[in-house]
Amino acid sequence: MKTSDQKVVAVIMVGGPTKGTRFRPLSFNTPKPLFPLAGQPMVHHPISACKSIPNLARIFLIGFHEEREFALYVSSISSELNIPVRYLKEDKPHGSAGGLYYFRDIIMEDNPSHIVLLNCDVCCSFPLTEMLDAHRRYGGMGTLLVIKVSAESASEFGELVADPVTKELLHYTEKPETFVSDLINCGVYIFTPEIFHVIQDIRTHREDKANLHTLSSFEALRLTTKTHAKDFVRLDQDILSPLAGKKQLYTYETMDFWEQIKTPAMSLKCSALYLAQFRQKSPGLLAYGDGTKNPTVVDDVYIHPSAKVHPTAKIGPNVSISANVRVAAGVRLMDCIILDDAEIQENAFVKYAIVGWKSSLGKWARVQGEGDYSTKLGITILGEAVTVEDEVVVVNSIVLPNKVLNISVQEEIIL
Amino acid sequence: MKALILVGGFGTRLRPLTLSVPKPLVDFGNKPMILHQIEALKAIGVTEVVLAINYQPEVMLNFLKDFETKLGIKITCSQETEPLGTAGPLALARDKLIDDSGEPFFVLNSDVISEYPLKQMIAFHKSHGGEASIMVTKVDEPSKYGVVVMEESTGQVEKFVEKPKVFVGNKINAGIYLLNPSVLDRIELKPTSIEKETFPKIASEKLLYAMVLPGFWMDIGQPKDYITGLRLYLDSLRRNEPSKLATGSHIVGNVLVHESAKIGEGCLIGPDVAIGPGCVVDSGVRLSRCTVMRGVRIKKHACISNSIIGWHSTVGQWARVENMTILGEDVHVCDEVYSNGGVVLPHKEIKASILKPEIVM
Repeated sequence: MKTSDQKVVAVIMVGGPTKGTRFRPLSFNTPKPLFPLAGQPMVHHPISACKSIPNLARIFLIGFHEEREFALYVSSISSELNIPVRYLKEDKPHGSAGGLYYFRDIIMEDNPSHIVLLNCDVCCSFPLTEMLDAHRRYGGMGTLLVIKVSAESASEFGELVADPVTKELLHYTEKPETFVSDLINCGVYIFTPEIFHVIQDIRTHREDKANLHTLSSFEALRLTTKTHAKDFVRLDQDILSPLAGKKQLYTYETMDFWEQIKTPAMSLKCSALYLAQFRQKSPGLLAYGDGTKNPTVVDDVYIHPSAKVHPTAKIGPNVSISANVRVAAGVRLMDCIILDDAEIQENAFVKYAIVGWKSSLGKWARVQGEGDYSTKLGITILGEAVTVEDEVVVVNSIVLPNKVLNISVQEEIIL
Repeated sequence: MKALILVGGFGTRLRPLTLSVPKPLVDFGNKPMILHQIEALKAIGVTEVVLAINYQPEVMLNFLKDFETKLGIKITCSQETEPLGTAGPLALARDKLIDDSGEPFFVLNSDVISEYPLKQMIAFHKSHGGEASIMVTKVDEPSKYGVVVMEESTGQVEKFVEKPKVFVGNKINAGIYLLNPSVLDRIELKPTSIEKETFPKIASEKLLYAMVLPGFWMDIGQPKDYITGLRLYLDSLRRNEPSKLATGSHIVGNVLVHESAKIGEGCLIGPDVAIGPGCVVDSGVRLSRCTVMRGVRIKKHACISNSIIGWHSTVGQWARVENMTILGEDVHVCDEVYSNGGVVLPHKEIKASILKPEIVM
């Protein structure tokens, strides 16, 4: 088979609003996939990675957010990349494999030889070209991106066992209670169109069985039609687990970084990871300065071209400043994301925090987090349009939109 | 006659309820907060109500269309593009409030619940002949508010003292005003405080009079006061319209149950409970001092006190919910779970007990 004939299609699962409560308060106004990391919407990073795939025909975003939320982004990224990008809205959640199956006709329109499946909330280097080469060598139906993690944290993910020589997936189990392996599923896959037959088999098999899923009562409440259980197919439990050890699925191990972006704190951590990646691969995207005409910059920093930052401010490390932000004289920003239209007044200090859209920090205000990305109040998050008055200190707190803080707070959630 | 209701901003103190609807539409006593005021105004002959808002006008407007037709009263919105304080909105709505009749107009604060003795207020206003009348109410802790110092026999207002450090009086501004159109000439279209700027001026000209509000008064802008307010409201229903309250061997004290709600066997409901439309309360449930909003399902053997259960939520079997637990819209408390003061944002499932007051996002 000539590789030049083989078209590749990418599918990125972007989820939907009911699943987004962990990303509050940032998800109140913006769908999580569009939240900026290192200055670009979260979904932009996997999309950019897809660009490098030879013969990429099309990119699909599948989710159950409202279409209008993605309309603008999708049209602008399509023209920027010169590759059609399309958002496909599920009428209801179908699960990670169910969604793919639901849109199979559209996905197969270009008759692709391979389908790249990615989860939007995964932060990694997306070595897709290398993975595709490996997949072709293995000759299987699917290849999973995997990574070694610490034994303690492995149980939060899908743990798997792979043959060290053939790299075949031998065993897969989702969030096990006991230790199985420190190799985990990254949420990045390459499949041949055979995957649709596999999902189809699962669905048909289900109709024959009496009680398939043990859905929690909550999941059952979420489902609105009776035929639901058949449509809801999860990639991990329903496809990967049963097919492990049958010479159909293989693994490709990455040695680079990998994180899941489930909470606002993780988005700060992942923004820093992507900024570091920019430094390696696209240094032109980052900001530089020495305090003369531009602010002093300590690696790595992204500043949107429309943002105005006073030359006496010192910015970085790991800072991302979005559009129309105004940073006044003498401000110090470290390890933070400053979202669109925010205003930071003279001599204010921000570290380990996310400052929401249109927020305002007063003179000598101090907004700070401890920098623990895994606890609930490990960084400070200010929602949209929050005002922190002059000289007020906010530490390790979450502030919901439209609040005005005129006294200092620590370790609090402010509704 | 016309009226203006100051609806104002984001209602952040009533979160998580106000994350689902704007504050005036949060239900109180089984109907949206603002409906209590609109109905009271309609009852004394007000023909047009203007809502001064600055947040989510589309949601409000949709909702109000329903009321307009059902109640037969005209409802319009006056939208602030920047916050105008407590007097500025009056200037903004000037054209809607003034007509050729020269009649005074009412101004109400949307957070306030009371018996709305508006007819007496009109009589009071006519009798003193001044430019403006305000309702005041007696409170135990006046320093929390703005105190109105007035001459006892005539009600003429001498001055306003904001959060006084020493005792100057125990009557505070109840947020209900009756104003002559001339008051609008005193207010510029900019952020202005009616208590700090407009009223003191009128008082200095001896044209401001205060009437002590008969009956209950509560600012229900935050959950704790909402629950106290419900008690006062149901109390007042008991005195004035007892047929509206529920009766039965399973009812204790003042309880309001919507006609479409279903209550199972062996329950004990009350005192001070409101159960909204479409609610289903299974058997063996104990409810006291709580509000259960539209579409909520309370499963068997559950026990709820001093809490607010938001629209379409469910409370599981044997769950115990108490101590100012506030469940937002569509929150599901699993079977056997205990919530001691949990404040839960919309669309959450509570699988583990909340042992001390905590916000669940």
